[in-house]
Amino acid sequence: MSVKVWQKKQNDEWLGLLRSGDHQAFAEFIDKYKEMVFLCCRTLGLQDVEAEDVASETFLAAYKGLRRYGGRAQLSTWLWAIAYRQAVGYLRKNRRHQQLKAEPEKLITGSKEKEPAATIQSEETGKIAWQAVEQLPRLWKMAIILYYREGKSIADIANIMRTRKNTIKTYLFRGREMLKQILAAAFGEDIDVGE
Amino acid sequence: MSENKLGFGKFDETLERALKSHLEPVPADFTERMLSRIKEVEQRRILARLILQQRLALAGCITLLIAAIVSAVVFPDAVTAVFKSIPASLVEQEQILIYGVSQAIKAVRSNWQFYTIFAGVFGFIVYALADLLMANGE
Repeated sequence: MSVKVWQKKQNDEWLGLLRSGDHQAFAEFIDKYKEMVFLCCRTLGLQDVEAEDVASETFLAAYKGLRRYGGRAQLSTWLWAIAYRQAVGYLRKNRRHQQLKAEPEKLITGSKEKEPAATIQSEETGKIAWQAVEQLPRLWKMAIILYYREGKSIADIANIMRTRKNTIKTYLFRGREMLKQILAAAFGEDIDVGE
Repeated sequence: MSENKLGFGKFDETLERALKSHLEPVPADFTERMLSRIKEVEQRRILARLILQQRLALAGCITLLIAAIVSAVVFPDAVTAVFKSIPASLVEQEQILIYGVSQAIKAVRSNWQFYTIFAGVFGFIVYALADLLMANGE
C-alpha cells in the first residue's frame, strides 16, 4: 500500500471518528487547527478574549456540522470558512463590521534606516514580514495569509471570504504592492522585490 | 497568471517562507476547555430532548382525552357507528367480516372529515407514546 493511499485511509478513518462524535478524535482536530482559527480571529481584529470566544464558537459549530461535511472542500478550508463567518458575525453583532473595510487608512512604513540586503533572509525575516502584514487592511491581510501562509487557491479564498475571485485577486495584488513598499522602507532599497 | 494562482517571484517565496514561520499564540489549555464545553453542550442537548419527549407525551395524553370528549359531543353518530362495527365476539367475527368492511367503507365515506381528524390525532398519540417509551428505554 502506497504512503498516499495509507494516509488517505488514515484520514478517512479519522474523519469517520470525527463524524461519529469521538471526543479523542475531536481533541486531535482542535489541536491541529486551533492556531489557524485563532489566526483567523486575530487577523480580523478580535482581541484575545474575543478571539477565544469566537474560536470556541467555531469549534462548536464544526462539531455540530461535521456530520454534514461532505469532503468537497479540504477540511482546513471548510474550517477557515466557519471561523471567518463566526468572526465577521461577531464584529457585525458588536457593530464593528466597518473595521473590515478594504482600503488602507494610511500607509505606515518602517524606519528608513538602511540595513544590508542579507537581513531579509535572516531569522528576523518572519517577524519583520509579519509586522508588515499586520499593517495591511484586514481583508487584504486575510487574503495574503490564506494565499501565502495557508497555500489556499484563489477559488478557495473566495469561498472562505464569500466574495468573487476577482476581488481576491485585487486584495492580493494590492496587498503585495503595499508589502513591498513597507518592506522596502524598512530595509532600504536593498530588498529584492523581484517579480 | 492562472485562474487560481498568481505569478510567483522571489518576493513571493520570501513572503511565503516568512509567513509560514509565524506561530500564532493559543491559550495553553484551550483544547481541554473546549472539550469540557462540548460535553456540557451534549448533556444539555440530551436533557432538552428528554424534556421535549416528556412534553409531547403529556400533550398526547391530554389531546387523547380532549379528542374523545369532542368526538363524543360533535360526532355522536359516527362514534356509535364505529363502535357498532367492532365485532361483539370472536365467533361473530367471520360472519360479519364482509358486511363489516362494506359498512366501514360507507362510514368513512360519509364522515371522512371526522376520520381524517381522528387519524391525525391517533397518529400523534401513537408517536407521543412511542417517544415516551423510547425515552424511558434510553
